[in-house]
Amino acid sequence: MLTLRKTTLCAALGAFLFANGAAAAEELHLYNWGDYINPEVLKRFTAETGIKVSLDTYGSNEEMLAKLQAGASGYDIVFPSVHMHDSMAALDLLEKTDINQSPAFANIDPQFLRAKSDPNGEYCMPYAWGTVGIFYNKTKVSKPIETWDDFFAEAKAGKKVIMLDDMRETLGVGLIENGKSVNSTNRDDLKLAADWLLQRKPLISAFTYDSVPMVQSGDAVAAQYFVGAEMYVKQEPEKLAYVIPKGGATMYQEDMCVLKSAPNKANAKRFMEFFLDPEIAALNTAQQTNGTPNKAALKLLPSDLRDDPQINPPADVMAKLQIFEDIGKALKLYDRTWTKVRTAN
Amino acid sequence: MSTLEGRKRLQLLGLLSPATFVIGLFFIAPLVIMATYSMLEPGLYGGVEWNFYPDNFGRVLGWADGTLEEFDPVYLEIILRSFKLAAITVFLTLLVCYPAAFWVARQPEKMRNFCMFLITLPFFTSLIIRLYAWVLILRPSGFINTTLLALGINTPINLIYTETAVLIGMTYIFIPFMFMPVYASVEKLDRRLLEASADLGASRWQSFWKIIFPMTLPGVAAGSIIVFIPSLGNFIVPSLLGGAQVLMIGSLVEQQFLAARNWPFGAALAMLLMVAVLICLILNVLAQNRNKAGVS
Repeated sequence: MLTLRKTTLCAALGAFLFANGAAAAEELHLYNWGDYINPEVLKRFTAETGIKVSLDTYGSNEEMLAKLQAGASGYDIVFPSVHMHDSMAALDLLEKTDINQSPAFANIDPQFLRAKSDPNGEYCMPYAWGTVGIFYNKTKVSKPIETWDDFFAEAKAGKKVIMLDDMRETLGVGLIENGKSVNSTNRDDLKLAADWLLQRKPLISAFTYDSVPMVQSGDAVAAQYFVGAEMYVKQEPEKLAYVIPKGGATMYQEDMCVLKSAPNKANAKRFMEFFLDPEIAALNTAQQTNGTPNKAALKLLPSDLRDDPQINPPADVMAKLQIFEDIGKALKLYDRTWTKVRTAN
Repeated sequence: MSTLEGRKRLQLLGLLSPATFVIGLFFIAPLVIMATYSMLEPGLYGGVEWNFYPDNFGRVLGWADGTLEEFDPVYLEIILRSFKLAAITVFLTLLVCYPAAFWVARQPEKMRNFCMFLITLPFFTSLIIRLYAWVLILRPSGFINTTLLALGINTPINLIYTETAVLIGMTYIFIPFMFMPVYASVEKLDRRLLEASADLGASRWQSFWKIIFPMTLPGVAAGSIIVFIPSLGNFIVPSLLGGAQVLMIGSLVEQQFLAARNWPFGAALAMLLMVAVLICLILNVLAQNRNKAGVS
């Protein structure tokens, strides 16, 4: 992060110093989740267009929104999740790009146009998607984990299990296991989810995003984690595994959006069109080990990724995945429930 | 005469105004914003709506409309738990630093300087990196347990993601903050007073409680305050070493500003915390004044 910022600074300073002679170099500033784009894609874009790309990162949708609201400027493209895409549309932060008019937009599978505020892709384009399931260490479990019950059975046997420090993801598991929608705004539904989690609270070692090294070392046997864990699974397939729980799971999807305040809108649109190219989308997906909304890119993926049912699940599993929506004021209900779950002993 | 006095006053004004300006701008102004926000209605997507809204404090202190906002004692519980952990941290850092300060003060000057350098050395590395190092030390396959195993003790100790881990981490990061003020007061201690007290027949125990301890008390008090306040609001250690299992007030405030998008409630919690700290400080000052009055 820091080095990236420094590079940006140096680049900016350099551009300033050399600005006397030539026109300032073309630039593009991305604001993305940490480790959520293949650096090779950015290099290829710069090589092809001469546009310099800078990348800053954030750790959550809310962090990104809060920084933009607090006046962070200079970013051209952001990568909000679908529900945040809707929130940002309501706040009038997004620029209409007409990206759906690009011929290559036909590569995008229309089922991924999920944002209610943008049903035709006039503003943003679907970027990537994935599931949130269970990442576990095969050498430490008594039997392969398939469900959340298996997950907690390991904990009952005295092993460590970890869940995400994420209000909606973790409460989402409680809702799914009780057969409720992860977007429920019903008090009774949330009570069920809270009770389900509270019963298991003594079994949960920690709520954290930093579970990968703990599972790799075997200090924890299993953790709730993103499909991106497949990156580690592919490195050590005998030891590690990622699974979508049988009872269903949440899925996430990020969209690539141009900000209304973007200083380089034309370059931003150029990057979106560049990313519609199946070869580029496939280059990104292969490194990220997640799902792509680009139908043509899917065909170009190495077969071990394309045919992995945990990454590109069959239709019946897809049907059981739920995606978060913007729930407005009901967020308070989630906040109170989450605080109670985290405080209980 | 009057012109001289006037010039002096002007000089004083000139000297004080930059500091006053800086404090006004960077301390009072944010405080006013925070106090204002704490009484406004939360905006749907973060930020605030400009309507008076008493429920932010009500959720903690006992009134709320009961539909969207509810009073819940859980917030007081979290505040109390944070106070408890901060107090234990103060005690543990003092336990480490007090004897260490005496030892360092007795070393020759070169050694003393070297020790001071060692104390400040951790600041050269990022706090986050040092805390991740503690994760490696405390985890079941980490340094502590492998050492125990090598010594033939076969039952691994469960440290990571416990309250103990949080206390170890907090004590570790706040030791320098306690050491500096304690050392300053220990170094100033006049050794001849101890000789005098021994000559007059005081036992070691009496010398300690009647001479050494009262004379180092200002350093201890200063160190305690400097350690207590940041450990009260700390949220990195509970999150990394406590696995967010031990919810403290700092994490709760963070949750309000980010995941819950409720800035006013976050501001209200921070205000309550500040008031609580202020009350502690005032009590501390009063107690010290009473002590001084008692001595003289």
